[in-house]
Amino acid sequence: MERLPRLVAAILVALMVAWGAAPLSAQVRGVTPTEVILGTSAPLSGPAAAWGITAIAAKTYLDLINEAGGIHGRTIRLEIRDDAYLPPRAVANVRELAERVGVFAIVGIIGSANAFAVRDYAYQQELFWMTPAIDSHIWIGYPGNRYVYTVYPDYYEEARIFTRYAVETLGAQRLAVFYQNDQYGLAGLEGVQDEIARLGDRARLVAEVPYEVSDTDLAAHAQRLQSSGADAVIIYATPNHGAMIAQAMARIGYHPHRLATFTLGDATIMTALAGEAWEGVISAGYFPLPDEDPVVAAALERVAQREPSLRAMAYNALAGISFVEPFVEALRRAGPDLTRESFVEAIESLQDWDGEVIRKVTFGPDRHQGINRIYLTQIQNGRAVVISDWITYPVGF
Amino acid sequence: MLQYLLNGIATGALYSVIALGIVLVYRTSRLLNFAHGDLAMVAVFLVWSFSRPLGFPGAVAVALLAATALGAAFSFGVLQQVKEATLLGQVVLTLGFSQVLSGAALVVWGADSKPFPFPLSSVVTYRLGGAVISQLTLGSLVIALVLMAGLYLLIQQTRVGLAMRAYSQDPEAARLLGLPTRRLLAFTWGVAALLGTAAGMLLAPVTFLHPYFMLTPFLKGFTAAVLGGLDSVPGAIVGGLLLGVMESLFAGYVSLRFVSTLSFALIVVMLLVRPEGLLGRVFQRRV
Amino acid sequence: MIIIRPWPQQGRIGGAMDLRRSYREEMALVRGWSGWLAVIALTAALAVLPFLLSGYLVYVVTHLVIQALVAVGLNLLVGYTGQISLGHVGFFAIGAYGAAHGLVTFQLPLPVALAGAGLGAAAAGYLVGLPALRLSGPYLSIVTLGFGIAVHQVLTNWPAVSGGRIGLFVPRPALGPWPLTGDRAVYFLVLGVGLLLILAAYNLTRSHVGRAWIAIRESDLAAQATGVNLRRYKTLAFGVSAFYAGVAGGLAAILIGYLEPQMFTFVESVSFLAMVVVGGLGTIPGGILGGLLIGAIPYLFSSLRQWLPLVFGLIIMAVMIVEPWGLYGRWLKIRRYFKSWPL
Repeated sequence: MERLPRLVAAILVALMVAWGAAPLSAQVRGVTPTEVILGTSAPLSGPAAAWGITAIAAKTYLDLINEAGGIHGRTIRLEIRDDAYLPPRAVANVRELAERVGVFAIVGIIGSANAFAVRDYAYQQELFWMTPAIDSHIWIGYPGNRYVYTVYPDYYEEARIFTRYAVETLGAQRLAVFYQNDQYGLAGLEGVQDEIARLGDRARLVAEVPYEVSDTDLAAHAQRLQSSGADAVIIYATPNHGAMIAQAMARIGYHPHRLATFTLGDATIMTALAGEAWEGVISAGYFPLPDEDPVVAAALERVAQREPSLRAMAYNALAGISFVEPFVEALRRAGPDLTRESFVEAIESLQDWDGEVIRKVTFGPDRHQGINRIYLTQIQNGRAVVISDWITYPVGF
Repeated sequence: MLQYLLNGIATGALYSVIALGIVLVYRTSRLLNFAHGDLAMVAVFLVWSFSRPLGFPGAVAVALLAATALGAAFSFGVLQQVKEATLLGQVVLTLGFSQVLSGAALVVWGADSKPFPFPLSSVVTYRLGGAVISQLTLGSLVIALVLMAGLYLLIQQTRVGLAMRAYSQDPEAARLLGLPTRRLLAFTWGVAALLGTAAGMLLAPVTFLHPYFMLTPFLKGFTAAVLGGLDSVPGAIVGGLLLGVMESLFAGYVSLRFVSTLSFALIVVMLLVRPEGLLGRVFQRRV
Repeated sequence: MIIIRPWPQQGRIGGAMDLRRSYREEMALVRGWSGWLAVIALTAALAVLPFLLSGYLVYVVTHLVIQALVAVGLNLLVGYTGQISLGHVGFFAIGAYGAAHGLVTFQLPLPVALAGAGLGAAAAGYLVGLPALRLSGPYLSIVTLGFGIAVHQVLTNWPAVSGGRIGLFVPRPALGPWPLTGDRAVYFLVLGVGLLLILAAYNLTRSHVGRAWIAIRESDLAAQATGVNLRRYKTLAFGVSAFYAGVAGGLAAILIGYLEPQMFTFVESVSFLAMVVVGGLGTIPGGILGGLLIGAIPYLFSSLRQWLPLVFGLIIMAVMIVEPWGLYGRWLKIRRYFKSWPL
């Protein structure tokens, strides 16, 4: 017991030395003459770790830019923190990035729950936030969206486009939705519901079938879908569960039109998982496919050479690149004198700007949703084939 | 109705196989092995890795050997070395071990889902009355039955089985009679790991392969084992089938959203009626 | 009177320093001037801590204290009463959503909302405790496991409570006239509530309730034979333990400011259990130590990225192998070693 006070004193001294003098008083947070610091919180461990590849891809892409000399003499450092897909840790990570690392902006952050847990803090700190990887629809009407610059699509609007396509082009009259029972899936469900209401009596929503991430047996789900008699099923799921439901439907001989959200758009991964059962599935994309566009293919090849693990998850890797592309361009345009104001002016000057991966990006003082278009693909012989032009949807914010 | 029953029996049979592994370990060590699912997961990943150089049967052999060795090694090298450990301490050791296994799988194989090559297809189906059954499901049922029968023979008809029964009835007496109890324990762990791996290989073609794919099936197997009575081998089989059918019927006719809640509610009621599980030994306690 | 002690405390007996002359001295929480000095120093350290740390670390420490609080409560159930719970996240979730709706939907004052969260969880704890009268060990663990999963499923499918697609935002509340906007304010709130509940736990375990719980743990039949009302004390253990988890859940809701059902899964229950066992069963400091350590590992080793779960598992295994009685058991051994050092 006698030792305790001395121990406490020692700890206190250590703490003071370690953190007492922490706050930096730089002119612009996250900017030095030689460096711009970005930060992200991503699931690198835990069940959602496959999405963490976006952060790795973004970092690899930035590293390649740094090796080529950086932007206006500055290298771009991306600090990655693992959140294991848990909101409390995402909050801690972003706070660490803002307060201790001192980042200029945050990038990505996967999952609605994580992004929502961080949202108000990021707003309070006036952190620039490049492309939160969540439904961009949810930013509409949120005052903090003025610091958000996103090139991520809108699940809600995508679901409406799917619904319209199913009814008008495929001639479906009875629709069903298979969705993950969380914010991600509910965004899709809501889009379908609203669009069906708009279409009037041309189509009906005959089944809403939710699943939990922990479900490992989707036989009953498939049967529910089948017995509803739906002729088109719209899927908002993880790649894993998307492939599972496709197989479960095929197993009971149920073959409706299937439309799956763009996160299941990677034909290679989905065909590897679901095999034949994924044939004919309609999905979406928001940047050109590497098979069809040499520039995208070249970008993918460049990062994959540096980080071979990216090759197996091409879409996630490309999405990761797209998260930072507009930022890099804005740095270029802002010139050597980088301040928050010059950055805002620069990024808001992007008009129909084409990056290597993400295309036709437009930002402005009243427009922070950088893209408002998707196109549809269909799996034919295991490859994604583009079946529509770009389809635009209203800009939300 | 037939289809739902069939689905239930098919999943239930796999729950049974998982439950059997849990029961085997519990009978001998009085220990809930929370690493059971993750041990199987690692073994299935080994099959996945080795099936290219060795072919599928060779890979299965390697993985079964590895899982058996890993299970036995954990029992021998860790659990039995920690003599002071409380029962709960041992449970937490298995929890830690399960973290280590899934963590290692994450590092080695990554978190993305992988298709699991299996000689039977999950999409090719046969008609059976008014219901369809896939090649894989049919195969799973057959394999599960074979495993159950094999385990029955092992326990009831062999010398090792006799020793296992003796040990589970009274460890002290078994030791005094000169049974090699440590080797027996390690052997039990090995057999349990083998059963888990078999179940994992039958599940992976449907759920796909990733470091966490055995978590839910393990919990279901655990539930089934308790429902049947943790020290009863037939109980594990009955518990698994019952749980599978129950879930399938609830999902089909009552509510897809509350399947687990309903199943657990029913299980609690059943346990309140028979606190030692459906086929568990009624324990008499002396004070 | 016989005072039944769990094993680790027996380490205190022996050693000339610990000679006790009266019952009052035996029951005292803090003994001697050195004990008081330690308590004062610790209190002072906890009071100045948030002024030395950056906001981020204050947040982390606050989160750790909340987890330690759950562990202390769970230890009352597992360590003292010998009942198991694999569904403590259910109580935690009930507390979190209870407090959130108390504050946001019903505009209740903070203390009322927190107490309500605790009592709501305690009521659920009482219900879950009822089957414990008939079931034990693994059979009971299935009931609690099912409870945790059921709470999660109800939350996911009840948008009015969970906030549906948007989730549930919890703005920082005010304590009377003081708005708790800053990190330090929340830290002191959590610390205050935490210390209060930990003190209560100390007193509870020293009272007839604690002795009844320990008697049940050692042998419930024997306890019953000596006149312990099993029904009352088992359900009470569940209720009290759930109360702790509920209050902690409420504090977590305030700290994080956002709730989503996915935050309350089986994995959390398991980690709560690990905290108690790693810290030390049947002791209050054990729960605190375990909660702090298990809670801190992800923060301490976050740079390990995908290696983290592996290292996490190895640490848990290492602690259990080296010290089966948990961290607190090791601490007692170390202290005893130093006390009798030259001998």
